[in-house]
Formats: sequence, C-alpha cells, structure tokens
Amino acid sequence: LNAAPGPAPRQRVRFLPAPGDGGATALVPSRVPVLADHPLVRGPRFRRLKIGAGHRLDVKASGVFVLGIGHGNKLLTDLYNCHLTKVYTVGGLFGKATDDFSDTGKLVEKTTFDHITREKLERIIAVIQGTNHKALLMYSNIDMKTQEAYELAVKGLLRPMGKSPPIITAIRCLQLALPEFQLEIHCLHETQQYLRKVVHEIGLELKSTAVCTQVRRVRDGVFTLDDALLRTQWNLQSIQKAIKDCRLKVKKEIEKTLG
Amino acid sequence: PRRGLSRAAGPRSARRLREAEEAAPLFQFAGKAAARQERVFVWGFCSSGALGLPSFVRPDAGWKKPRRVQRAPYRLETAGKISSAACGYGFTLLSSSTTDITKVWGMGLNKDSQLGFQRSIRDRTKGYEYVLEPSPIPLPLEKPQQTRVLQVSCGRAHSLVLTDNEGVFTMGNNAYGQCGRKVVEDETYSESYLIHQLKEFDSRVVQVVCGQDHSLFRTRKGAVYACGWGADGQTGLGHYNITSVPTKLGGDIAGVNIIQVSSYGDCCLAVSDEGDVFGWGNSEYLQLASVTETTQVNVPRHLPFKIGKVKEAACGGTGNVVLTEEGNVFVWGYGILGKGPNLLETAEPELIPPSLFGCSALSPDVRVAHVRCGLSHFAALTNRGELFVWGKNIRGCLGTGRMEDQYFPWRV
Repeated sequence: LNAAPGPAPRQRVRFLPAPGDGGATALVPSRVPVLADHPLVRGPRFRRLKIGAGHRLDVKASGVFVLGIGHGNKLLTDLYNCHLTKVYTVGGLFGKATDDFSDTGKLVEKTTFDHITREKLERIIAVIQGTNHKALLMYSNIDMKTQEAYELAVKGLLRPMGKSPPIITAIRCLQLALPEFQLEIHCLHETQQYLRKVVHEIGLELKSTAVCTQVRRVRDGVFTLDDALLRTQWNLQSIQKAIKDCRLKVKKEIEKTLG
Repeated sequence: PRRGLSRAAGPRSARRLREAEEAAPLFQFAGKAAARQERVFVWGFCSSGALGLPSFVRPDAGWKKPRRVQRAPYRLETAGKISSAACGYGFTLLSSSTTDITKVWGMGLNKDSQLGFQRSIRDRTKGYEYVLEPSPIPLPLEKPQQTRVLQVSCGRAHSLVLTDNEGVFTMGNNAYGQCGRKVVEDETYSESYLIHQLKEFDSRVVQVVCGQDHSLFRTRKGAVYACGWGADGQTGLGHYNITSVPTKLGGDIAGVNIIQVSSYGDCCLAVSDEGDVFGWGNSEYLQLASVTETTQVNVPRHLPFKIGKVKEAACGGTGNVVLTEEGNVFVWGYGILGKGPNLLETAEPELIPPSLFGCSALSPDVRVAHVRCGLSHFAALTNRGELFVWGKNIRGCLGTGRMEDQYFPWRV
C-alpha cells in the first residue's frame, strides 16, 4: 500500500528570493511543493490500519465475516442499526449429546435415532418458526393496530429495530440423511453458540439427542459468499476490488432502511 | 492400568476417547407407541363453565379467585378421543366416533336443556343449570353399540347431534321450531328430557349446521333442508315465518349438488361441488350486497365472485370468509376483516396475502387448509398444522394470550 503512488504534494505560493544581479534581492512568487509533504520528511503514509469487525463469528464456525477498514468503520455502525438477517447453514448429528453442544465436547449421553423421519423434523421446525415469529412481532415494538404494522407484516419487513434476544426468522431443512442433517437458519441478534443450542433442543424435542457439527454463515445482511474473499485472495488488489464492488450495495441498503 | 497419584490425569488420547464413547450406554427415549395423542385445547370466557374445567369457575382453594377469561390455549383432559366439537353461546359439545355407550359430552349453560337432562347429584329430581365438566349426554339410540356420532353443532340455545344411521337428534330451545318439532306454547325448556329425532330426509344427512335460532341439514344427494326462525330469511324458504319441520330449500340451489353449508348468526352460505357460492339470510353487514340491496334475502342466491373455485366457506356474525382451491383466503362483510385497521367493511371479497400465513420464499408450499368463523373473529388452519386467528378479541376468544383485537392473522 505504501509503495503505491500517493496523492501529489500540496503546492503553495511562496515568495522566494530570486537570484538577482548584484546584491538586491527581489522576491518572485513561485509555486513550490510544501516540504512537509515530501515522502522523506513525512515517512510512509500508512503505518497502522484501523480494522473493525462486523457481527462476531466464533472459532468453531466459518463463513462470511464483514470487516471495515479505516473510514469504513462508520458504515459498520449503520449496518448494525439496519438489523438485517443473517443466514447460516447448520449441520448436525443425531444420537449424541455433549456438554458444549458441538461434536468436540465431552460426551454426556448417547441415544437411538431410528425413529426420526423428515416429517417429524419439519413439524418441530414449524413449531420453532411459529414461536420465533411471535417473538419477532412482540419485540418489533410497533403497535399492532396500525395500518403500517399490517403493511410491514405483509411484506415481511417487520423486525425488531433495537436490542432483542436472538430471534430466528426462518428455518428450513436442507437434507436429512440419518444420523446427519442440515438446516438453513435465518436469524437476528444471535450467537453461534445459540444456534448450537437450538440444534441440541431439536434433538431433545425429537426424543433423541443432537450435536452441531458445522456452523457456516452464508449471508450477513447484503454480503454473500460470492463477495467473500478466500484465504488465497488476501492481497491488495482483490481487497480493493471487493471494497469497490460492495460500496454501492451498502449505500443503497443503508438508505433504504435508515431513510 | 492404575496410574498412581504422582502423575496428573492429562488429556486422554484420541483412541481412548473413542473407546470411552463406544462403551457409553445407549439410551432410548422414544417408546414403541410413540404416536401423538389427539388433544383438545380450550380458551375464552370461563364463567359459564363452557371450558370444561371446574377450577376456573369454582377454584379448589378458598383464596383463589375464579378465572373470568382464559387467554391462551389450555389442555382439556377428555375421556375419549374427540372427533368433533362445537361451540354454542355459553356451552360446548364434544363427541367421539366410538361405539361405546357414551359418545357425546357437553359442558356450560344448560338452562334450555341444550345439553340434555343433567341429573343433579344433590336433588335427584332437578337438573343442573350450569355444567362445569364434560358430562355425558344420554341419547335415545336404538342400537347404542353400533351407531356412531359423526358431528355435533351448537346454536344459541339448541344443539344437533348427527349419527351415521339413526338420523339427527335435536335438543334445547324450540321456541322457533329450530329443533325440528312443532312449537308448543309456553313450553319450559329447562330440565326437559325431550330429545327429538329427525329421520325424514331424501337421503342420509351428512352435515348439520346451527345458526343462531335456525338449523340447516345437508344430505348426501346435495340438498339442503332448514327449519327454525326465518325473520331474516335465514331458512331460505321464500318467506319470513318460522318453520318447525325441516323443509327443502329451492331458489338458486335447487338441483345443485351442495358439498358444504355454513352458518353462525343469521346469514348462511353454501358451496357447490363446482366451486360456486350461494348465500341467503341476513345481509345487514353487506354479506350479500354483491347481488342485492335488500338487507334480508329469503331465497338462496348465487354470489357471482370471480375468485376461482371455492373449496370451503364459513359464516361469521358479521363477516364471511371463503377458501379457494389454490389455498387463498377471501374475506368480506363488516368488522375486523384481517387486512389492517383501514378495512372495516366491504361487499366484494378481498384476498388476504398468503405471506401472512407463513408462506414465504423459504417455504412456498404453505397453504390454508380450513377456515372457520366465530361471532366477529376468524380462524384459519394451514397444511403445516398452524392455527392463525384474527378479529375482535372479545373476552379472550382469539387465544393469543393478549386481550387486544388482532387486525391481521396471528399465529396461535
């Protein structure tokens, strides 16, 4: 970054003594670059970078992780206040229960799981979605009797615009191949440990037990997996390209939600 | 091998962890009969005893106050598997399709013997006026161990019980002939043993519906019979008098195969097998305003709605709702119709957006399976088994847990 040509040094009009003949010094106005902007005086332009993180992603999870650099950190608070949903792909395993709800923890119990069918799983998922939908309406703090509440509910834009406990807006079973299963969860204000706890509770409701094997964030507001940079792409050009591509999307989303 | 106390425990190797895991005992929580039991939930106004839980009206402990309203669904323990239930004005009937002696239970108001004669324990000659628990209703069946009860229905002060081969039994108030028998002047209806049996129809009766003070019977051939009060034309027989004998309806439904009838207050709707909707009765709340300007219609009229093939219709006190084959829900009438606080009355059916019933981009195949109406509230059941209610929340009838009115469908 420092090797790239920086902005041109500022120019200033100074009255410099011009070489006159004899002893009389005449002052001639001329535009000279300011010495303070000289690279040898100033030093490298970037010594530190301020990087801020968007929504947290813990060690055992993977996926899209939004970072803000420098002045972009101000946009991070605006994005947080938009309260957009995040989409996770959660993989689970039936038959085991561990103390921290993931497959690397200490084993607590083993159970049978042959009685589990896709229909039973879908029923439990529908119940979870129903209770979370009620919590969504309650925490959105809008009076239910107004016309705008009705219109937002029809479009599906009703969601809490402030602090709230973790809420799941939509949940769907992607595949079920006993003992493994995969769910797609859309949620707000959650932590990855909460999602693992949800997997554990699904196992309990189905009269068996379940642990979470994989938590992968697929979408975070406007950023999807396609915008994310892989480990091999962590170089200056791809980062600059990614920032340019996302700039317009972020601006539109913030304008739409915060007005 | 014993390790002794000088060395610390340390993390075990992966092999030891796997062995310990395999050696752990396997639990089985799902039993053989893991099927879910059929359950009955009740909510609403408790003081009439219609909920069937005596502790709401007469608490067990002296310091507890009687509960007036039960806002959220509460499980009701029943003696058998209930297949049909109906709510009347302050009383409820539950029935199961068994071949045991006891097939129908009733609770709530019994001032007009709408629950039959409930002999009081304290005084063997008198009957109970309020029944607080589901009590069996004795029916005068000829073959009690072979006949099955298919359906029950309740009106304001009368009830109808439909059996599979012994016709329809009616009990309760008969001041307008709604029980299908001749009106007797100055008859006392409370503590009455009289249960009337109706058998003379053109074919077997497959559905019974009670309006406020009238009764409708639908037979297997698709004909509709009516009896009871007719001052608003709800009997559909072409006059505004009372009818005490079930008479076949004519008008636009003559010759049409009707597959479903519905009524609650003084308006009636019928659905034919081709998906057409017919209505008659009271139209003060614009229920039939699409065909006529008059407020009472005493002959069934076809309602020309262009909403597609109709599968099910339900009448409420002031508003009506229909369900089409594609799973769309249309409402019209007066009151809180479910489209926000701005839509309070309309004569043409309005669609309720399916996204309010849980149909979204993530689960696109959620459809509404059944619709029902109460006095001024509506309920819809989806194919995923979720119940949505909306309307005026009088004394907690919606079951949402709150006492406020609900202007758009809310999941219970």
